[in-house]
Order: sequence, then structure tokens, then C-alpha cells
Amino acid sequence: MPTYVDMTRCDGCGECVNICPSDIMHIDPVYRRAYNIEPNFCWECYSCVKACPQHAIDVRGYADFAPLGHKVRVLREKEKGVISWKIRYRDGRVKEFAFPIRTTPWGSIAAPSSYDAPPADELQSQLLAHEPDALKVAALPALPARS
Amino acid sequence: MFVSNPFSLLAEAFSPMFMQAYVVLMVAAVVAGVLFDMRHKRSAEFFARRRESARAAAQRELGAAAIATIAVETLVVDVMAAGEFDKWQRRLSHLLTAYGFIIYLVTTVVMVFGYASDPETPWAWTALWHLGALMVLAGGSWFFFALRADVAQEARAPLRLRQADIFIVGLLASSAFALVWHAAQMLDNGAGVTMLLFGLYLFSTTLLFVTVPWSKFAHMFYKPAAAFQKRLEAASGASDLPRPAEISHIRR
Amino acid sequence: MARRTEVVDCDVLIIGGGFGGCGAAYESRFWGRDLRIVVVEKANIERSGAVAHGLSAINCYMGMRWNENQPEDHVRYARGDLMGLVREDLVYDIARHVDSTVHKFEEWGLPIMKHPDTGHYLREGRWQIMIHGESYKPIVAEAAAKAASKVYNRIMVTHLLLDRHHPDRVAGAVGFHVRDGTFYVFRAKAVIVAAGGASHIYRPRAIGEGTGRTWYAPWSSASAYGLLIEAGAKMIQMENRIVLARFKDGYGPVGAWFLLLKAYATNAYGERYEEARFDEIKALVGKYADIKPMPTCLRNHAMIEEMKAGRGPIFMHTQECLDTPEKEEIGWEDFLDMTVGQAVVWASQNIDPKERASELITSEPYVMGSHATCSGAWASGPEDCAPRDWQWGYNRMTTIEGLFGAGDTIGGSAHKFSSGSFTEGRIAGKSAVRYLRDLNGAGPAVDEARLRQLAEAIFKPLEEYRVGRNEFVAGTVSPNYLLPLHGLQRLEKLMDEYVGGYSTFYLTNEPLLDRGLELLRMLREDLDHLGAEDLHQLQRAWELRHRVLTAEAVVRHTRFREETRWPGYYYRADHPRLDDDAWHVFVASRYDAAADAWQLEKLPVHHLIS
Repeated sequence: MPTYVDMTRCDGCGECVNICPSDIMHIDPVYRRAYNIEPNFCWECYSCVKACPQHAIDVRGYADFAPLGHKVRVLREKEKGVISWKIRYRDGRVKEFAFPIRTTPWGSIAAPSSYDAPPADELQSQLLAHEPDALKVAALPALPARS
Repeated sequence: MFVSNPFSLLAEAFSPMFMQAYVVLMVAAVVAGVLFDMRHKRSAEFFARRRESARAAAQRELGAAAIATIAVETLVVDVMAAGEFDKWQRRLSHLLTAYGFIIYLVTTVVMVFGYASDPETPWAWTALWHLGALMVLAGGSWFFFALRADVAQEARAPLRLRQADIFIVGLLASSAFALVWHAAQMLDNGAGVTMLLFGLYLFSTTLLFVTVPWSKFAHMFYKPAAAFQKRLEAASGASDLPRPAEISHIRR
Repeated sequence: MARRTEVVDCDVLIIGGGFGGCGAAYESRFWGRDLRIVVVEKANIERSGAVAHGLSAINCYMGMRWNENQPEDHVRYARGDLMGLVREDLVYDIARHVDSTVHKFEEWGLPIMKHPDTGHYLREGRWQIMIHGESYKPIVAEAAAKAASKVYNRIMVTHLLLDRHHPDRVAGAVGFHVRDGTFYVFRAKAVIVAAGGASHIYRPRAIGEGTGRTWYAPWSSASAYGLLIEAGAKMIQMENRIVLARFKDGYGPVGAWFLLLKAYATNAYGERYEEARFDEIKALVGKYADIKPMPTCLRNHAMIEEMKAGRGPIFMHTQECLDTPEKEEIGWEDFLDMTVGQAVVWASQNIDPKERASELITSEPYVMGSHATCSGAWASGPEDCAPRDWQWGYNRMTTIEGLFGAGDTIGGSAHKFSSGSFTEGRIAGKSAVRYLRDLNGAGPAVDEARLRQLAEAIFKPLEEYRVGRNEFVAGTVSPNYLLPLHGLQRLEKLMDEYVGGYSTFYLTNEPLLDRGLELLRMLREDLDHLGAEDLHQLQRAWELRHRVLTAEAVVRHTRFREETRWPGYYYRADHPRLDDDAWHVFVASRYDAAADAWQLEKLPVHHLIS
């Protein structure tokens, strides 16, 4: 189900070009707006659809197995931590869903270097960062010593 | 320079009637170009179809007052404030270029029709003409060299031109040559160089207006119409986008 | 042709910004505060890799805090699923650490579903927990971006660099910027490859646009293997390709449906075929048929046999398990969080899962290392539990000194999925820092002549196209150069026909493999004549090269293992039985690029856990 870009909504900002994991959203030479240059490498991951500030990108199911007349549209509200979906079937029925996407503010992850540096000899141990506390058990499991 | 009227200086070589006829011709070229574009692409038909399906999908009827309000919102927010742009740099460069172009055009028409034979053109008009051209150059070259998606996101060399660049290049060329030509007029109105620069100004300006069927010029009319349609769809419930969420899951 | 070159010096070079790479970045920074840590990613780290869409479950979580599982149990499970052949030390190592990874994910903001009564993470199945994972990748990428000195997006790494004085030591990597064509040279003391496994080496079931909807991301272009094989690293289990039974065409996930929502599958006549075929499976693989849960490949086998017997389509009866709105939401979220394409299939075909069943099918084969499969590099194991012949100093270091791997790159460590790949990245990250600290003196030396050679080779397809294009008027048919898509299609067809693709019901034999190898060798020669019109096509050209090299490893390993170890993944018609006497081993290979020669051998499988 590859992506396509709405002629009237796209303003050629390039966010989709920037985000596409497949490098297939590019700028058209006639309108300077975005389009999918290689639908056969489109995974329908919806990264571009979610990233477009104008909601100009939509998906039409892969022609080899998806009949026409459907819509699966998305609204990702990053600052609310929500993603909403509106699905319209070929036969007209509609389903809507909304799910959480994040519980903490964007940009709030503590950098690993913001934690106290581990003691030098711990580099030799099997413990990874924040362990054993982050395991929420007393100690890192180990197999009995082998000869 | 900023207080003199290039067209009254030009009137020493050409009758204002020719200048006025040219302006009328260019307006006609734009109108014809837009109509031809829409007819050739049958885009009017397509958008009429789209309007119909939006009407059919509408969940609520919009009264005349509601529609009028939406039209005003479109005009004020989307058109006059370029509110649809997501990134401030694109918005600012657009506002500079768009208002610059409007000021440049309006002052040109006023000076050609009102003051072409008048050596005492009020300096407000002439200053605005210069300001308009400078705004187009500022906003336009910022866009052309740094903000265009194919340059900014695709690392395309700015001077590798393609069809989508006709409009911006025409705008930049017309306003740049206008200013350079007028500067040359101030130095020596009858010189060959001045005539050459006038020729370049005339050529690039003509190209700007006659290439409407192939350039992005007409999008300045289509975009507001599309923005209006988008607002109508959101208001009438015809939009197929999900409703914005009511709650936030982010714990601050 | 004059080209801009950019040289980047760093301590730790992480190739690939997916889950493995992000884990490596985070952990190496924790242990190496002063180090220059660089991540290089072919696309944009915010949405790159196999988790671009998101995920609806974390499939590797012990839950030790609630006494749900112990790492040994996970080893038994992974071993059973892979018919006895896993690196138990690597699997154990990931299993004992993965809980801390998941707890950090939650702390970072990943919403994990909770059981309404206990408040524990909501289990999908014994090893899996349900998440609201649409932004799983952006969250994890944020952690990596806060760790790395710099993240380079849109640079495709094409080759590893070896030390000019020590060919068994890594020195860095080279590649090109996909937007502006700059030639990049990364010089590094330690390299962690966490790139993608292989999609698109077998003919996909779809045609045309639909070939984009592979089960595993189309941008998983086998770079993990292509980089390592070419550098001469030892690889294992390249024959262990995986076939997935998923919703047809959209390849939507089935885990939540089977495990959490308790759906079941039947043939077209409503018969539960898996139970009916148990005795036949037992005759095929003996005691392995008794493993519970039934190994993935054996479940595939039952489905494949059923379809061959003409009793398809196979259906999952979703309509029998969505009796509450909450369950319907879970069912839909399962798709929308990670495979929106399946929701599109339903909407386009008027399939409401509350009302009707959906088709299941077995996919085309893939080669990767983090799922119910474990192809990849032979790596040194954890110092405290790996047998002597499975470790040579630094955990997750390959047979090339200084070259580490994580995620799909590493062989033998099955069932790690997203959380386990991130964890393996962490393990490799810490290990790389240890290696760096132990290194006394300067880093490795790069051979300038080799750099010039590589710079020319990397951009050659652009030259081939430009010059060769002059021969013909227009179109795509050139007698002189091959477009990357042409090469890809030829690869996919030959792998499908000769090396057990879906069109043969995953069957092959020695004469087929030999013929396939012959055609593959000719394709490899033709790769010198790839023509790329622009930088995007150049990226496709290098993705193809990595895929073709990987495919050759797959063919050779498949030929070497004279056994059918994983029926349902593939079958050797000439060796249809499972043979523990001769083949309870890993098949390993090493490629010598200078001589263009392959060496294959058996390596012992040790069982550390009863």
C-alpha cells in the first residue's frame, strides 16, 4: 500500500524526504512537491504520513492485492503523546481508534553521561549500565562456573 | 534612485501607451495561462468532483454565515499571514517574497498608468517599488539558495534548474534586473548598457508572465482555494482525518 | 571524477542506527565518557530500521522481578524453537540483561500495557509483553542521540576497512552520503556493526507495488552480512533462513491473536490441521516434535503440507475471539502499531475481523538473526559462561579483531527481537569500550591505496550509467549495464527457484543448489556492470551487492548441511531427515575476498543448560 502526496496540500517542505527509511520520498521536478519514487520499495511504514505537517500524504493499498476505495488515515499528536486512526472501508463503514505513544516529554531522556560514572573496575564485570538495580532483582544471574 | 520613477525615465524612449499596453497584455497572459492550465489539465473538473464528494461526506450543513467566517479565516490566516507554513523560515521567506511581489506589481501598475509621463512621481510609490523588488530578492533568494526542499533536503545544487524553478527564477530575475536597470538609468539613461538591462528586465518579466501554464505561478491562486476547501471540510466533518485527541498521555 | 572526501576519526564506530546500534551508542557512552562515539545510519535514525512503524509487543522479556521467567528457561525455549541449534551462551547473556533494557524503555516513556489486576506488564505470551509501541523507535533513537558524539544520517556504509598491517583487525569503514555523494572514510579503533539482515533475497509473493510489503523491512539490505562476509569474518547458520506464517499479503503479526486473544487457525474446511499432522511431524523430526511450544518451523510445515494437499486457504478465526470492545481495540492496535498495511488490506477487502476470518500464509524466506532464526557472525561469548572454544576475549567480538556485532549481525542468538537486539547492542558497546581501554597505543592504520580503490569502486555504477547510456535511445534496456532492480529481480528469481523459495514449497537439493550457484556467480560478475542513474540508485546498487554476497553464503551453507534440520523453513529433498548424529553442529563459513574462495566447516554446539 504505497504512499501518494496530495497536490493541493503539499507545500514542498521536505519533511517526508528527510524521514523516509527507504529513501523513496523525493521532490518532483515540475511542482517541487513530494512524491513516492519507488512504490515497490514502500513498506507503508507511515513515517512520512505521520511526519507531514500538512497531512498531505496518504496511502493507497498495494495495487496487486488491495481493492480501491479504502482510507487509513492517521493523526499523530506528538505533544499529547497520542496517535489517532480513522479507517474507512471500501464498503463505507468507519472505525476509529486512538492509542498512547509516549508517557514522558519528548527530549526528556537522561543522557547516559548524566549518571555518575561507574567505578573503573566495573568495566570488567558482566553488569551493564544501571544494573543490577534496573533489573529489579538483587543480582545479575550467572550460570554456574564451567571448567 | 529610490525616489525616481523608472518608467517616467523610460518614457523618454517609449510612449507610456506601449508600457500600458504591455501591462494589459501581461495581465491577459496570466489570466489566459491560468485558464489554459486548468482546462488542459481538466483540474477544474477534478476539483469540482472533489467538492461534490466533500459535500456528500459532510456531517453537518454549513450556513452562509459559517462559510463567510471560514472565507475570512482563510484570507486572514492562510493567505495574508501564510499560516499554513509549518517552519518559520519558510513562512517568513514566503511573506517577504509574496508581499514584495504584490507591492512591486501594484506600484509598477500605478507608476505606468498614473505617472509614466510625470517626472514628479510621489516618492512613496517609487520607494515602495524599490522596497517590493528588494523584498522579493531577499525572501526569494533565501528560499532559492537555502530553503527549497530539493536544495535543503536533497542536496541539489541550487543552480541546477528544473521546471519547478521557472516561477522563482522569473521573480528573482525580474526584480533584480528591474533594480539594476533603474540604477543604470540613473547613471546614464541613454547608454547602450541601460538599454541592454532594460531588455533583460523586459525579457525576464515577460517570461515570468507568459510561462504561467508551465510554472508555479498559478499556485498562488490554487493554494488559497485549496486552503478554503480544507477549512470547509474540517468544519463540515467531511475530512477523513481522525479527530484530534482530547487527552494527553504525557506526564510532565 | 573529483569527489569530496570527508574523513572522520572516532573511537567507537557504530554502523547502523537501529535497535542494536542505539543500544551500542547508549552503553558505550555510559562506560566511555570521554570517547568519540559515532553512529552512521543509511536513513534517518528517528525512523530507521525494522522498527520504523513501531511494534505492538516486546517479544523478549523475562519478568524476573515477578518471578515470571528465568534466563535458563529462555535458553530452553530458543533452543527448542531452533531445533537444538543456538549459541546458548549468547541467548543466556541477552536473557539475563534484557529486563533492565525494558525497564529503561518504560522509564524513557514507552507505554507498556499493564494487567488490570496485578499491575504487572500485560503478557501476550510467556516471553512477550504488550506495548503501545508506535513511537518505540523515536524514543529509543532519542536515547542514542543523547549518547553519541555525532549521528550521521543518510550515509550508506559499503565496506569495512581492515588494518593495513594486520588483515585480521578492523580499522574503520567507508561509504557515501546518499544526498550529496561525499565519500566518507571513518577511521575507528572499534567498530560495532548493527546493520540490517536480509529481506529481498528471495522472490516475494507479491508482484509490482506489493513487493514493498515484505515481512521484514525492505531496507534491511543484508548489510550486516555483506560488510562482514567481504571482510572475512566467520559466519554461522546462513542456511537457517526463516519463513513466517502471517496474515496473507499484508504480513500482519499473528502473535497477539494466537497468544493473547486466543484465536486459532484451520484449513478451508474448518479443520484444525496442526493437531492432525502431529504424527507425521514426529516421523520427520523425532523427539523435536515433542517440544512445547511446537517449534516455529514445524508449525509452518503443517501449514505448508495442508496447502499442498489442497486444503487451503488457511484461516485464522479472528471472529471468534473479539467478543469485547477492548479485544477489538487490541486486535486493531496490534496492526496499527507495527504493520499498518494489514489494516489497509482489511479496509480494502471489507474484512471486519469481528465478522469474518482472515487468510494466513507462509511468507517468502528471509535471512536475519534476531527472530525465530539466528543467521549471522560467529562471535565471542560472555566471559563468565561461554565455553572456551566459544570465546576469544571480548564479548560479541567477531573473528576480526576490534569488530563487534549486535542485533541481526550476530549468529546463534535467536529470539532476541527488539529488546534483545538493543541489549546485545549494549553488550557489544560495553565490550568495545573494554577493548579500547585494553588497547595500548595508537589505533589501526588505514591503507591509502585501498581507500582510492574503494572510492573508485563505490561510485563506479554512476560512471557506468553515464557513459553506457549513450548507446541507446531511451528506456531501461542496456546491453552494457544492469539497473539495480534488474539485478535484484534476477537474484530473487534464482534464489526462489534453486534455493528453496516459496514457489518450490521451500524445497531444494544438491543439483538445484549447484545450478543456482552457477547462475549466482554470473550475477556476481554482472555486478561489476551495475548502472546507477543517481545517488538513490547507487544506494540500491550497494544494497544489491550486500544481498548477493549474503545469498552466496546462504547457498553454500544450504549445500553443506546435508540434512533437513528445520522443515517448514526449507527442505533438502536429497536429505529429508533430521540427522543429529552428523549435523547437531553449526555450519560456519569464511570468505576470502582476495582469492574469491569460501571455506566451510562444522563447529560444535555445546549445551550449557539442561
